[in-house]
Amino acid sequence: MSGPPPPRTTLKDEVRRALESLAATPTTASGVTSDLSIDEELNLHSIGWEPVALVSGVSLHSIPFGYWNWGQGEIVAASSAFATAFTNATARLVREAGSAGGHGVVGVHIEQTVHSTHVEVTLVGTAVRPVDPGARLGRSVFASDLSGRDFTMLMVAGWEPLGLATGASFVFAPRRSMGTVLQQQSQNVELTNFTEAMYSAREAAMQRMQEAALEMQGTGVVDVKVMEGPMSFAKHAVGFIALGTVVRLAKESHQSIHPTTVVSLNDASVAFDAQSLG
Amino acid sequence: MADTPRDLPEAATRRFADGSFSSGLSVADFAACLDMGLEPVGLVQGFCAMQWGAFTMSGMGPGLNPFSGTQGGYVQNYQCPHGMVSNEHRSWGQNYQQNWIEDAWRTGFNNAYSRMMQEAQALGAHGVIGVIDSENPLADTGVVEFHLRGTAVTLRDLQAPSETPWSTFLAGQRLAKIFEAGYVPVSIVTSVASVRVWAYCVTEYLMEGTGGLFSNYGGAAEIVQVVDAQNTVRDLVRSRVRSSLHGDALHGAHLEVSVREFAKGDLELQSRLSGNRVRRFKDFDPLPVARPTVRLS
Amino acid sequence: MTNEGNDLPQATEHRLEELEHGLFTSDLSVNEFLLIKEVGFHPVGFVMGSSIYHTGIQTRKWSQSQELTKLTEAMYNARELAMTRMEEEAAELGADGVVGVRLDVNYYEWGKDAAEFIAVGTAVKAEDGISRLNKLGKPFTSDLSGQDFWTLRQTGYMPQGLVMGTCVYHIAHRGLGQTLGTTGQNVELPNFTQALYEARELAMTRMQDEATRLEATGIVGVRLEEKSHQWGSHTIEFLALGTAVTKTSDDVTLAKPTTIISLDN
Repeated sequence: MSGPPPPRTTLKDEVRRALESLAATPTTASGVTSDLSIDEELNLHSIGWEPVALVSGVSLHSIPFGYWNWGQGEIVAASSAFATAFTNATARLVREAGSAGGHGVVGVHIEQTVHSTHVEVTLVGTAVRPVDPGARLGRSVFASDLSGRDFTMLMVAGWEPLGLATGASFVFAPRRSMGTVLQQQSQNVELTNFTEAMYSAREAAMQRMQEAALEMQGTGVVDVKVMEGPMSFAKHAVGFIALGTVVRLAKESHQSIHPTTVVSLNDASVAFDAQSLG
Repeated sequence: MADTPRDLPEAATRRFADGSFSSGLSVADFAACLDMGLEPVGLVQGFCAMQWGAFTMSGMGPGLNPFSGTQGGYVQNYQCPHGMVSNEHRSWGQNYQQNWIEDAWRTGFNNAYSRMMQEAQALGAHGVIGVIDSENPLADTGVVEFHLRGTAVTLRDLQAPSETPWSTFLAGQRLAKIFEAGYVPVSIVTSVASVRVWAYCVTEYLMEGTGGLFSNYGGAAEIVQVVDAQNTVRDLVRSRVRSSLHGDALHGAHLEVSVREFAKGDLELQSRLSGNRVRRFKDFDPLPVARPTVRLS
Repeated sequence: MTNEGNDLPQATEHRLEELEHGLFTSDLSVNEFLLIKEVGFHPVGFVMGSSIYHTGIQTRKWSQSQELTKLTEAMYNARELAMTRMEEEAAELGADGVVGVRLDVNYYEWGKDAAEFIAVGTAVKAEDGISRLNKLGKPFTSDLSGQDFWTLRQTGYMPQGLVMGTCVYHIAHRGLGQTLGTTGQNVELPNFTQALYEARELAMTRMQDEATRLEATGIVGVRLEEKSHQWGSHTIEFLALGTAVTKTSDDVTLAKPTTIISLDN
C-alpha cells in the first residue's frame, strides 16, 4: 500500500537516543507536575507558556437544617452556600498556583455536589506560566476550565482569561401542587406560575454569573454551561448553575485566525505492515 | 524500596519459556510501538495481597480520645468553643495523617510493581509500557489486592538496563509524542495519603445541619475541619510524589480522593496521585502555533 | 430599556441591561467563538426562553390511527412560546440573530402531564452595523453550530430562522383478531406504515410552510425527531427541525479544502 513517505525513521532514532540517555546522569528538570495531555503541553509551548504544578482547592459550606422543606420562592441558604463554597475553593486553587509560580490554572476539573446538609466544590487543574521570566507580569492569577488547546487559541486571537464566573440559584416548584392545577384545566395551555418560577430562577443564575464577570472587569464570558435539575434528595427543589470563563481583550483588537478548510480522508484505517515482526 | 521479593510463581517461568508473545496493546498501539522501534516481548504482571484490617483504627468508638499522631505526620486539633463538657458533646476533635495505612499501601504496591518488573527483566526487556494498575478490596475480609500489568518491550541492539527497566502508563501515539516532545519515560509513579477526621462539635453540627442547643453553630458556615482535611490530604500526596521525582517531571497526572464516612463528620479521606515520571533528554524547540482548520465532514 | 410588548419575567430585565452595557456572554465554545468572529459577527449574550405547558388532554379512539390535533397544537404552541421569548431577549439586546439554538424538554416529577420547553442560544450582532434581521423584521434564529455558521457564510447564504413542524399521532392498537391472523408471517403492517408516513409528512410540510413565510430559498440541517414524551408508546410526536436560509451573495469564498490524513488515533 503506497502511502505518504513515513517520517517515522527519525522517531526511531529519537527513541533510541532517549533511551540511551537514561543511563546517563539525570538533567535537572524542575519537578514539574501536570495533568495536561502532551498535546495540550505542545500547544502551550507554541505560545511560549509551560506547565508548572498540579494544584487543587476544596471547600465545603453548610446549609442549615429544614431549608429544603417545601417553601416558596428561592432557597437563599443553598444559593449562598454554593457561591461561598465556589469562591473559597477558587481562592485556594489560585493561591496554590501563585505560590508555585504559576500565572494561571488551565483545564480545571470542577466537581460540585449539593447535599441536603452542605455544598461541596472541588477544583483540580494545572498551573501554567510564560516560559520567559521576562514575560511574567505581576497580575492576579486566573483560573479557567478551558483546555490547554482552547487557552492557546484564545491567546493567539488576542484575548486573555481572567477567571471562572459562576452563578447559582435554587428554587422551589410553586406551592400549589401541579396535580390540582392540572385537574382544573380542560385545555392544553401554558401554566404561567410555574413558567415564571423556573424562568426566573434560570435568569437569576445567569445574572449572578454576569455579576461575577463584571467584578473581574471582564468584557465577556465564553463557553457558558448551564446545569440544571431537581435535587436528588428533594425533588420539589430545582437548582440552576451557570459557569463560564471570563475574558477580555489583551491586544489592541481581535486577531483573525484565518482557518483553512480540510477534508479528512480518514475513513480507511491504516493497517500495520506484518513483515516488520522479525 | 523494600526487599524485592524473588518469588515469581512457577507458572510465570513456563509462560515465558514459550517464545511467542502476548501483549495488552490494541492494534493501533501495537503499530505505533513498532514505529518507535520498540518490540513487544510479552505481557508482564505483578500481584500482591495486603491485609488492611490490622491497620485501621475504625474499631474505636466515636468521641473517645482519638489516636494522637505520634507518628510525626500531619495533626491538627480543634477545640470546642462552647465551654461545655458532657458525654454527648464532642469537646475536642482532630485531623491526623494515618501513616500506617500509607505504609501498608506502599508495601503492597511496591511488591506488585517489583514482581512485574522482575518478569520484565526475565524477558530481557528494556521497559514496560501501557501499564494498568488496579486495587481490588476483597470485601469484608480487610484484604486489598494490588494488580499491575503492562507490555514488556525491547529496543533492538540496545542493551537492557542493568537496574530495573523503565515503565510508563502510556502506549501508542501518546507515548510517541512524549519522545517527540523531548521526554523519556523513567517510571510510573503512584502514591497515596490518608487522613482521618474525628469531628468535634462544630463539625458535627454543620454536617448534620442541626443547631441543637447551639443554633448559632448550626447556621451556615464553611466546614473548616473537613476543608482542612480535604486540602491537606491532597497536599500530602503531592509533596510525597514531588520529593520522589528528584528533579524529573510528572506527566499526565491523575489525582483523585475517596471518602469513607463512619458518621456525620467522622471521615476517612484517601488521596491517590498517579502519573508518568519523565525526564528531558534534549532541549526542545517549541513547535509553531498550530494551523486552525475547519473540518468539512 | 423595557419593551412593553413582551412577557418576559422581571428577572430578565436586569440581566439584559448588563449585557447591553458591554459585557457579552455566550455558550459557544472557544472554537465557535473564534469562527463567528471570522465572519464578522460578535456574540452579544446568552438568551433563553421557556414555557411550562400542560400536555395531557386529548381524547382518542383506541382503534383508529389519527392525528391528535389538540396535542399537536399544544406541542407547537409550547415551543413557539419558548422560541418567541428567546427572540424577544435577543431583540432587547439589539442583536441580529441567535446561533446554536437548542430546544430541550424537561419533565419534572411534581408535574405529570406537563413539561417545560426551553430554547437557548447565543445572540450575535454583525460588526459592520448592517442589519441582518429576517423578512419578518426579527432576529434570525438557527440551530447551526459556530462551525456550520462559518461554513454557510462562506457559501454566500444567510440563515433566516429555525423552522419547525410538529405532528402528534396516535397509532391504532391492532385488534386481537388481526394480530392472530398474521402471526408467523413476514408482512407489512399497512396501518402502521400509513400512520407513520402520514405523520412524518405532516411534520415536514408544516416545517416547509414556516420557511415559505420567511421567504427562504431552502432549508439546511433538517432532522426528524420522534418522542413519546409521557404518553405511552402508541402516541408519538414527530418533530421536523431545520434552518431556513436565503442566498445573499453570489460570491462563494470557500477556498478549495486541503485533504489530510490524520496521524492521530
